[in-house]
Amino acid sequence: MSKEKNSVVMDPFQKWSHSVGRLGTVIALIYMTAIPFVVLTVYDAMPSFGDVINVSTISILLIYIPVGISEAISYTPILGSSSYLTFITGNIMNLKLPVAINAIKLTETEQNTPEGDAVASVAVAVSSIMTIVILALAALLSSQIGFIFEIPQIKTASGYIIPALFGSLTLGLFSSSSSGSKIVKGGTKGVIPVLVIVTLLSLFVRITSGGSLFGAIGFLIIAMLPIAIITSRILWKKGVITVEDNPAVAKKEK
Amino acid sequence: MKEIITSPLLLIMIIIGLLYIVAFSLLYLKKAYARCLEMGISKEALSKVIKSSLVFSIVPSLSIVVGLFALIPVLGTVWSWWRLSVIGSLSYETLISSSVASAIGFETSSQMLEQATGSQFGVVMILMTIGMLSGFFVLIPLGKKLCMSVSKSENASTWKYVLSGCFMLCLFSVYVPVLLIGDTIQALVMVTGLIIAVVLGVLAAKPGLKWLNDFIMAFSMIGGMASSVLWTSIFK
Repeated sequence: MSKEKNSVVMDPFQKWSHSVGRLGTVIALIYMTAIPFVVLTVYDAMPSFGDVINVSTISILLIYIPVGISEAISYTPILGSSSYLTFITGNIMNLKLPVAINAIKLTETEQNTPEGDAVASVAVAVSSIMTIVILALAALLSSQIGFIFEIPQIKTASGYIIPALFGSLTLGLFSSSSSGSKIVKGGTKGVIPVLVIVTLLSLFVRITSGGSLFGAIGFLIIAMLPIAIITSRILWKKGVITVEDNPAVAKKEK
Repeated sequence: MKEIITSPLLLIMIIIGLLYIVAFSLLYLKKAYARCLEMGISKEALSKVIKSSLVFSIVPSLSIVVGLFALIPVLGTVWSWWRLSVIGSLSYETLISSSVASAIGFETSSQMLEQATGSQFGVVMILMTIGMLSGFFVLIPLGKKLCMSVSKSENASTWKYVLSGCFMLCLFSVYVPVLLIGDTIQALVMVTGLIIAVVLGVLAAKPGLKWLNDFIMAFSMIGGMASSVLWTSIFK
């Protein structure tokens, strides 16, 4: 098992993404941040610093700041080069991540390879444009079509997008893992401690308060990620988690 | 406040912002598409990806539209439209707008729309904007490093393969127990989505139904969401 550091040669698209893509993201961010300040200055409605940052608003920011950090740390390694565009257009868990995984599965490419990165970027770009177009149409026609989205059944169904997604994603996750040139055997063992901890915590919260940990999921992911990585690392060193050539791909190449 | 949320300046700035993002997406699409062809991925495979991504995006986008109509009475059309088109997500934007309303002293978000002054709405706009920026403080300086840490080059250590899968597995190991244990309807919706995906997977193995393969995720998600109406009527 080679453990020495490898100098990774970046694919041209990945290189482009980490330079031009990153620059485009910075420009978008500056523009987005400027919007409220420009509009409020023109309308002479700029709130004082103390109105924006005070005890009650800091408590709100303290909820959202860790969520953003958690998303960046946990989703960037999955999304690869498409991360920049994904983070600019948002709706990662409920839209961009599944779209990227679906595309990788369809083309039988592999996550974190130049091919997988490029394919995921195609999917994320298409999906971003689609969402912007649908939202623009909805905003334009808001007075005409608003009533449809007020129907109770539609409102109910919309609230369950994340569990429905996980139902449909589970199958995709397992079938896509076998399409690459290498297979990780026993990878799930590395997350057993996470499963046990989150299960116990969820049971505890459900039994004691009847509630769910759904609202705290960002915190949970960022807290559990080091546990998953450390456990996987130990099990990989001990040879419990192994990486083998994918026989299906080897056969195809012959 | 009404003056600001319906202001032409806000509308123009938002349209420019959205056009920039569409152009940015098109540039990504062009670059990634060309690179895919260079690497030997066929045009047919790519058109499959594009079609499937479009279909897959419709339902989540419509859910975001539901969120848009929930936010319009609180924040006005233009600001709600913008916030749901960029960064953040449906759930954060909805939550942050209601928590900000209470933080600046209103009992409900709709009361805020009626009574808030321009500068109070300014607090909402600024907090919603800066609240979701934190991820970029990680992504911009560390994005390349995070991607490269799991990038599988030809002579990469096998650890990279393990680490690369770790993130997704961890995500599932957190979400699945929370969804299954935390809420009965969420659990039933998830299981329904999974069952539909399995059934479609079996059907797609039949010769005449191969096309189904490209839409398993989209259809099972729609089915799962639709089932929530049934589960809610039984269990609530």
